Amino acid sequence: MALPLPPGLTPPEIAFLCEMELVTVIPRQRLEGLELLGGPSPPLNPPHRTSLPLWLALLLKRQRRANIIPPPWLSPHSLTAILDHETEHADAFSPPPRLPSPPPNNTLPFSPPFLPSSTAEAAPDALPYHWLELGEMLLEAAADDFEDPDNVRKLLRGLREVRMAKLRKGVGVLDAGGGVRMNGVGGMEVGEGRAFVGGVIDGLRKIAASREQQRKDRDREERENGYSGTVGDDDDDEMDMQ
Amino acid sequence: MGSYYDVDAILTDAQKVPCTFELTVPGLGYVEGNMSGDMKQGSKVELPLWLGETLALSQSLNTSSMVTLDPPSALAPRVLNALKADPRTVDLRALAPHFYNLGARILELFEEEEMIEVLSETFKARASVIADQAHNPRGALGEGADFMRGLDENERQLFRAAHDSAKGVRNWMADLKKK
Repeated sequence: MALPLPPGLTPPEIAFLCEMELVTVIPRQRLEGLELLGGPSPPLNPPHRTSLPLWLALLLKRQRRANIIPPPWLSPHSLTAILDHETEHADAFSPPPRLPSPPPNNTLPFSPPFLPSSTAEAAPDALPYHWLELGEMLLEAAADDFEDPDNVRKLLRGLREVRMAKLRKGVGVLDAGGGVRMNGVGGMEVGEGRAFVGGVIDGLRKIAASREQQRKDRDREERENGYSGTVGDDDDDEMDMQ
Repeated sequence: MGSYYDVDAILTDAQKVPCTFELTVPGLGYVEGNMSGDMKQGSKVELPLWLGETLALSQSLNTSSMVTLDPPSALAPRVLNALKADPRTVDLRALAPHFYNLGARILELFEEEEMIEVLSETFKARASVIADQAHNPRGALGEGADFMRGLDENERQLFRAAHDSAKGVRNWMADLKKK
């Protein structure tokens, strides 16, 4: 590996990706629509709410040209409910937002980065993929748009702790063929847990390498002798081991 | 397994394993400290893994192999029992700096289903403690200090990886505040 960085994304890169999320703003000044690479942005007319990408919304907020409406799941009430759910269900993460019903045949379905999961119309009872990054950035740049920023900050910290503890505990059930249910884990959490979880799996595979080799030999022998026992499931055995 | 220049693989192969000579070798007494004598049949010597393995596997003509290997003391039944009882209190570094790598190499040579189980369970149990220590900035100096000193090389890398990613996120949050 010639790259100096570990595999995966660094926290600033994850935050950069998060800045593509749409958020709802209330403009304070008129602004013509901008021709952006990702498509034209809607023109801003003061009292009307508009959805803008997070990076543009933060820029306008810093220039005091707009206010950001925090998404409904970032309210103390929703966060408390989600936190309760997390502490009650010790073995699963709180579920991600439901996907909308699939569109008619000849259009492509939207997947998370392009779904409005952080606008004012988002579902109030689920954490979207970029919950931690978005929450932290909004609290930093637009704390005055929250009703109770300190409480929200505290709840976000609590959620982060509970969920990271779950992720760490998940390695206890890992095995050569085991898995952890990671539905609903956010981008920053994946980035933070990747190095550790990957390291544990590599270590376990190294220890069990001889058993794996034996099984592979046995499978090959069986196949050569004409038994068609386990055809097609050796793709995952070929994974390169570091 | 691993690249030719992998320092950890080289150091693993340099660890000593007990070997018993099956033949009398003239002039090899210096390995035992007997400068001018012969290596007697049946004498037990600690040889590096790479040398012991080669000697044990090589067979000249139709004689038996030159030495027989025994599992090293770091993987003796006594140690495995201690790991079964409580993986967290064993000082792996004192047993062998590359404990798991040594285990994996030995398992290539011997068939020991139970050892695979014990080592996997140990690694998992200790990994969760390592993760907790890595996320707790004072952990490495407080009550966990003894445990941290007993980590083998693999576990140290794991600790470093977990610690660095937690630090990365913390730094990012601190950078946000500076803007």
